[in-house]
Amino acid sequence: MVLKNLNDLKRIVEGGPRKKLVLAAAQDQHSLGAVIRAYKANIIDPILIGDKEGIQNICEANNYDITGIRIVHEPNTDMSVELAVRMVSSKQADILMKGKIGSSVLLKCVLNKEWGLRTGNLLSHFALFEVETYHKVIAVTDVAMNIAPNLQEKIAIVNNAVGCLNKLGYTMPKVAVLGAVEMVNENMEATLHAALLSKMNQRDQIKNCIIDGPLAFDNAVSLESAQHKGIKSEVAGDTDLLLMPDIEVGNVLYKSLVFFAKAKVASIILGAMVPIVLTSRSDSEQAKFDSILLSAAASR
Amino acid sequence: MEEQVLALKKKHRIAVAWAQDTNTIGALYKAVNKGIIEAILIGDPDRFLLACKALDIDDKLFTITESATETKASSEAVRQARNGEADIVMKGLVGTEKFLKAVMDKENGLMLPNAVLSYVAAIEIPHYHKLLFITDPAVIPFPDLDQKIVMAEYAIEMARRFGIEKPKIALIGASEKMSRHFPNSVDYAVMCKMAGRGQIKNCIMDGPLDLFLACDKKSNEIKGVETSVNGDADILLFPSLESSNPFYKGLMLFADGVLAGLIRGTEKPVIVMSRSESEMSKYYCIVLSCLMA
Repeated sequence: MVLKNLNDLKRIVEGGPRKKLVLAAAQDQHSLGAVIRAYKANIIDPILIGDKEGIQNICEANNYDITGIRIVHEPNTDMSVELAVRMVSSKQADILMKGKIGSSVLLKCVLNKEWGLRTGNLLSHFALFEVETYHKVIAVTDVAMNIAPNLQEKIAIVNNAVGCLNKLGYTMPKVAVLGAVEMVNENMEATLHAALLSKMNQRDQIKNCIIDGPLAFDNAVSLESAQHKGIKSEVAGDTDLLLMPDIEVGNVLYKSLVFFAKAKVASIILGAMVPIVLTSRSDSEQAKFDSILLSAAASR
Repeated sequence: MEEQVLALKKKHRIAVAWAQDTNTIGALYKAVNKGIIEAILIGDPDRFLLACKALDIDDKLFTITESATETKASSEAVRQARNGEADIVMKGLVGTEKFLKAVMDKENGLMLPNAVLSYVAAIEIPHYHKLLFITDPAVIPFPDLDQKIVMAEYAIEMARRFGIEKPKIALIGASEKMSRHFPNSVDYAVMCKMAGRGQIKNCIMDGPLDLFLACDKKSNEIKGVETSVNGDADILLFPSLESSNPFYKGLMLFADGVLAGLIRGTEKPVIVMSRSESEMSKYYCIVLSCLMA
């Protein structure tokens, strides 16, 4: 099964038990808006941690109905994050979400050795894009977290993303390892990594997916372009997941999809005990809502 | 192989540096008799005559060019090839190093511009269902990625001369798994992708593969590894001289292998064989060089 659009995520979570989402430093308008919308849609059961008065004020001003939602008062933002993380590590919540606080503070708590959410896996960013000009949702990793991943880190990033896609119903997602060209070039490390990842996949050292690369962006998403170049590939033109060579490429691609192609996006952090909704403060309420939806689908 | 060369119905001229041992002269005599070569023996005429007498061969069958030392004989053989007086150069009783020095001489040698000097051998083994080409059992100690690519291309070219249009080439390692502890496996993965993208042409390539997976179909079935070579390799590419050299010598010693090999990267075929090699192996080298000329 593949996702045609982000709304398809609803089908995955429908009928399942509501996931408990804990919002750290909850006094943030967009986050609260998205969380309450997801609550109304029966997707999650939220727990709001933060400055109670601040939370109530925002909700009143925006007509958010928070009847029945648990609020834990903790005015100190650092403490509210710690509390939220501890709730997850003690299995009282299924999803962690960032409110009005910097990402680094939250991640520091996530990585805490005693009560954090470490699993031994690398943390990586995973995003789904709904673009009108592509025939299905396309996943992209890592556009926000790992700066210049080496081969071992790329393996971990692919494994995180494939694990998530498997949970979303993709039994064998098609993974394109992105390069500037589809040829192997010793001077472009990304193309060498791509060759290695392909071979490891062929040898079943990276499982549950089909990897091909290097593929240039056009070959990865356009069958016509791949055929034009004579590339024989199971992935080319039908990519489910794009693996980025580094954060610069990833971030620019992500932002150009959103700004120029008017893509809808949902994103989470993978690799911790639970999915983490860590959208940027500038993301729209819709993006935050879709990310919550994704986190609920991924935490099954 | 012999049949193919006989079918060419062409006589190649071989310039042999310091050809005064009985093995070399015996091999040349055999090839002259078959009508595939004309041999030019470069060296000390008295010693040719002695060797011919010892073998009971008519020395008139050969052209003789006098030369005083091994080094001069090597340079002369190379010079003849450069001038078109000979099509093939062969090493006689000269040390390999001295001989190759003449071949690799920047001004007067036989190297193609910027070419990598490497060695490809074809081995006939009773226990394998076809000829097996191996590279590089003689020249490059620890090939890097670029050298491995060229080695593959030389071997593919040779296999194609034998009529194998798309030879199966196995990149040999200790296991089929990728591991950063085995840097060669990294090179191999890159090469496979290059073959997949048409950057290395005319072959079916897979690696890393161990020798079983490369040459034994049953091992593929037992291990359940899907490989495009599938136990039917035409070419084995080895990661180092220390692995390829004992491999071929083991085949000669223990498995009745017969070998023919050639230097690649030169304008014209160059035959280099260990001085202790048998007459038969030397003869096969001559036949191979005719096929590649």
